[in-house]
Amino acid sequence: MNQPDELIFEMQQGSEKAFSQLYEMYSRAIYSVIHVILRDDEVTEEVLQDVFVKVWKNANSYSVEKGRFYTWLLNIARNTAIDKTRSKSFKNSNKNLSTDNFVYVIGGHNDLNEKTDAIGIQKFVDKLKPLCIKLLDLLYFKGYTQTETAEALETPLGTIKTRARNCIKDLRKLTLQEV
Amino acid sequence: MKKIEDIIESGTLELYVTGALSQREAMEVEDILEEYPEVKREVEKIEAALMNLSYDDSFTIPNSVWEGVLNSIQGVRKLNVPKKSTNWSMMTGWAAAIVFLLGIFWMLKENNTLENQVRVTSTQNAVLKGKVSTTEEALASSQELLDIIRSKDYREINLPGNVAVSPESYAKVYYNDKDKIAYIDARGLPTPPSGKVYQVWSLIMDPLTPRSVGLLDNYESTDTKVFKLENIPDPEAFGITLEPEGGSESPTLNQLYTLGMVSP
Repeated sequence: MNQPDELIFEMQQGSEKAFSQLYEMYSRAIYSVIHVILRDDEVTEEVLQDVFVKVWKNANSYSVEKGRFYTWLLNIARNTAIDKTRSKSFKNSNKNLSTDNFVYVIGGHNDLNEKTDAIGIQKFVDKLKPLCIKLLDLLYFKGYTQTETAEALETPLGTIKTRARNCIKDLRKLTLQEV
Repeated sequence: MKKIEDIIESGTLELYVTGALSQREAMEVEDILEEYPEVKREVEKIEAALMNLSYDDSFTIPNSVWEGVLNSIQGVRKLNVPKKSTNWSMMTGWAAAIVFLLGIFWMLKENNTLENQVRVTSTQNAVLKGKVSTTEEALASSQELLDIIRSKDYREINLPGNVAVSPESYAKVYYNDKDKIAYIDARGLPTPPSGKVYQVWSLIMDPLTPRSVGLLDNYESTDTKVFKLENIPDPEAFGITLEPEGGSESPTLNQLYTLGMVSP
């Protein structure tokens, strides 16, 4: 999507109105990323709130020349969510949380999670290749680097970009009706 | 252009959007993005596809999340704080201010009134003080007079009015024959017309010898109408006549107002 540079600038100048518009644009995508990591509605809402408070407080640490605003948001969201998984209260209430997060949706389980379906991932996940799902899980949801992803998938480093390209091409066809 | 195609097809942009590139590689992409709008459009499409992964019309994030964000960044200033309570505290503030102002105005008015009262009272006080001192003086002189005429040295002589001249008139003389002093109480005499004065005579009856003993000067301005006369020769009677200003050598008998005998 087109990055709303002007809104971002206004938010950096302290405009709550601009900030609320940015929240409208990005909160749902960020919510799903957090939800994939934490898999709990209530905790996800709590972390989403923390993420946007951080965005407001650290707004000036973002600059348009240094990357996509969404990438910056992703980093904050993933770090905050992962911090949450390490907190005592979260560990106590989610003892059975497995590590293969995004994959749990389709990973051979029959008890497909209604909540995950509710956030919209399910309808696309069914149509993506298993390797693509794994890639998205690591790169997009978990924030793995290229090298970490190659290691996790036990594939040569050079193939990650090509696979990511093909995977997201498929996703584009599904979500943007591109041919 | 071949180069641009290569970059787009390489998968570098996908990793750029997910944040998987090294810092150095990401900066290289930034440079290309600035130069080639078609690369930027590609990045935007990748981003949109990822964001749409979670797209679902039926799903909405509860409002409480945004409200929580606002509350955190504003303290407890807005939104969740019910407007009512803000208004109440404001109204209470205004009410207090109004009451306070009214109180001040009332006190100022009260103060003014009191100051006026103090001014009036102190004026009255001064007037009263003057009156008191006057009254005290009058009382002192009256007291003195009373002491004198009550003392055993003084005799009281009545001077009834002369029927032929002024039957309503009368006078009293308090006479001390040892010190030759007489007090004339002339309250019973009419106020003398202007240019005239009362003159007091001591009389020997046989033969009739009048001797002036003094004038009742400043008759009108003397409140007590009591006059002190001295060096009185031994009289058989006292008489008072009306004479021209300055008095006369001998009494004008047709203007004899009162006459009284000194009892032996």
